[in-house]
Amino acid sequence: MAESVRAELFARLREQETAVEPEQIALALAALGHAEPARTPHADVHTAFLANVLANKGTVELARDRGAAVQAIGRYLYQRFRTHKLVAGNDPRLAAMPWRDGGVLPRFGAAENGDSAALSYARLGVAETGAIVTYTGRANPGRNNLLPEDHLVLINREDVVATLEDAWARIRHDTAASGWPRGIQFIAGPSSTADVEAQLVMGAHGPRRWHVILVGDTPAEVLAQASEGVRAPS
Amino acid sequence: MKLASNEFLQASSAALLEEDKAQRRSLIGQFLPLARDAAASAYGDFDALRAHMKRVRRHTMTHLSHYLEQFEEAAVQHGNQVHFVANAEQLNSKVLSICQAHNARRVAKGKSMVTEETGLNELLLKAGLDVLETDLGEYIIQQAGETPSHIVGPALHKSLAEIRQLFLDKHKLGDRELETVSEVVEEARGVLREQFLAADVGIIGANALIAEHGTSMLVTNEGNGDLCANLPPVLIVCTTFERVLPRAEDAMALQRLLVRSATGQPQTCYTSFYTGPRREDDVDGPLETHIILLDNRRSDILASDYSEMLDCIRCGACLNHCPIYIGVGGHAYGWVYPGPMGSVLTPLLTSLEQAHHLPNACTSCGRCAEVCPANIPLPDLLRDLRQDESVQQLKPARWRNGLRLHAWLLRHPGLYRSLTGWTISVLGLLGKRRGAFRRLPFAGGWTGQRDVPAPEGGGTFMRQYAARRRRGGKRG
Repeated sequence: MAESVRAELFARLREQETAVEPEQIALALAALGHAEPARTPHADVHTAFLANVLANKGTVELARDRGAAVQAIGRYLYQRFRTHKLVAGNDPRLAAMPWRDGGVLPRFGAAENGDSAALSYARLGVAETGAIVTYTGRANPGRNNLLPEDHLVLINREDVVATLEDAWARIRHDTAASGWPRGIQFIAGPSSTADVEAQLVMGAHGPRRWHVILVGDTPAEVLAQASEGVRAPS
Repeated sequence: MKLASNEFLQASSAALLEEDKAQRRSLIGQFLPLARDAAASAYGDFDALRAHMKRVRRHTMTHLSHYLEQFEEAAVQHGNQVHFVANAEQLNSKVLSICQAHNARRVAKGKSMVTEETGLNELLLKAGLDVLETDLGEYIIQQAGETPSHIVGPALHKSLAEIRQLFLDKHKLGDRELETVSEVVEEARGVLREQFLAADVGIIGANALIAEHGTSMLVTNEGNGDLCANLPPVLIVCTTFERVLPRAEDAMALQRLLVRSATGQPQTCYTSFYTGPRREDDVDGPLETHIILLDNRRSDILASDYSEMLDCIRCGACLNHCPIYIGVGGHAYGWVYPGPMGSVLTPLLTSLEQAHHLPNACTSCGRCAEVCPANIPLPDLLRDLRQDESVQQLKPARWRNGLRLHAWLLRHPGLYRSLTGWTISVLGLLGKRRGAFRRLPFAGGWTGQRDVPAPEGGGTFMRQYAARRRRGGKRG
């Protein structure tokens, strides 16, 4: 059945098309160029990224280095859940962090139902949309982004790109050696719904809170500027 | 899904009388256009983005066999099984056979208008499968035994009180009250989380297919589609072949248009790209993935004068901006796709004979075309369908003869002017005292709702225009 349906469809399509060499099609496609990115609230990519994360109902924090990041995670877990427990993928960058210094007890692997918090080390951040990007795999199982109550994300300063097009250039570069991942997830906020009475509610199915920690030497004014004019999530 | 578009006139008259629902709709018609406008202007040059997408789409459609083949090849290379199906029945039986091959009991479904179109749930439920819609809006209407009233917010027609009552009837609630929207969402979260964890098969739709990487794009806020795509051991993506775009960057352009036009957001919470089953080292993800590409007359539409309709990205902006949709709501249209896009699509995907009222549900105000992110000339396509309707003699003879007479009259301007001039003088005289008419012959439908103002002195527009030109010279 499927084979003949396929053959018939392609026959119909080709009947209407003028046959053109693939090289010609590629040239015509390249000539179309790409779309313009959205305007961002700030010229500086890190300020714009943080401002958009806040606009997406996330919370943000700065950490000078990995040690400070562990401290920040420890504080967050204690304040939210009175716990030190955390689930994180088998990312070598996460394995090498000084967990004991922050009193954090990570479990490395896939998140389970009932886990309160999961941590991802994002591959990318996108200033244009305030999204972070993760690839599924051992370093960050897809369910870690979805099952926990809170999703914590580390993102290195140098991994924040300006536009969605820049993000795809990086994705192609990253995956050239390791292979194309099963899933690429752009995440921009906690799971939300407005399906009942058009009222926005967080935690529809996935995380109720989304906390992004920008790792690297970022001046505190950047966060202050990013927070200006953005309403704090209730 | 059962087609009831032939009852549009009765259904829309009934809908106009539901005060509570009408008020809810009018809020949608006020709020969503404002949100869309704010998001579009915050983006920058939104019209340039629309024009860019149009060029990409035209290029893709011109070389569709090339891109479809490229998509299929890449998707198969990544371990997907790709199936082409011609119609609703084939799609449904393909999904069922995949479920049966895995002895599936439970199915978790993400939002998919394509499977609404094919009526997939009905078949799966009949076969004994436990199928749950997991998009909150879809879940609510599934529990209520209803169909979506809006392609983006399927349950926007329901009040909190109605949903609360529905959950009280369907769930074992104990002493939970469900008095706020948050409590209702929390209740559904609990039920659906359990389904995600236990499901044997996940079914999702696709907002775009990317030829270059053989991947499908999924755009959601709830993350329900992502749970369907990551937790169950089998994933089935149900979509249509013309969703294909050449590059990831083209899907990004589409996404920029889609989210701003649909909800006025600059970006949804989840934008995901799924490409096959779990890799060798992976610790989670489906073990088997299928992509089902439905035709269901789309190749006919592609070959017709209505091919631009295939550019539709299902954002719902034309619904939110349509005075008819806001007036009568989605259910009156009698099928899956309501509003302007539905009034074009329904006759094309079913038959004009069964849905010929829909292209008439249009005031030609043009707002839909103004906001359509895919730049589809919806009012033109609706007019062309009305023309087809007339040619196929689907309108009553009285209408057709009336239109023929009107057309003949318009081709004789001298006669037209003297006849209208005469009518206006007579009406002006008759209505002088009251200033308006309660009833007029041949216009009962119009005067049933409102009075016709009586013409005031000065004659027809053309006569006054000519007189003004004479007074003010040629440039007047």
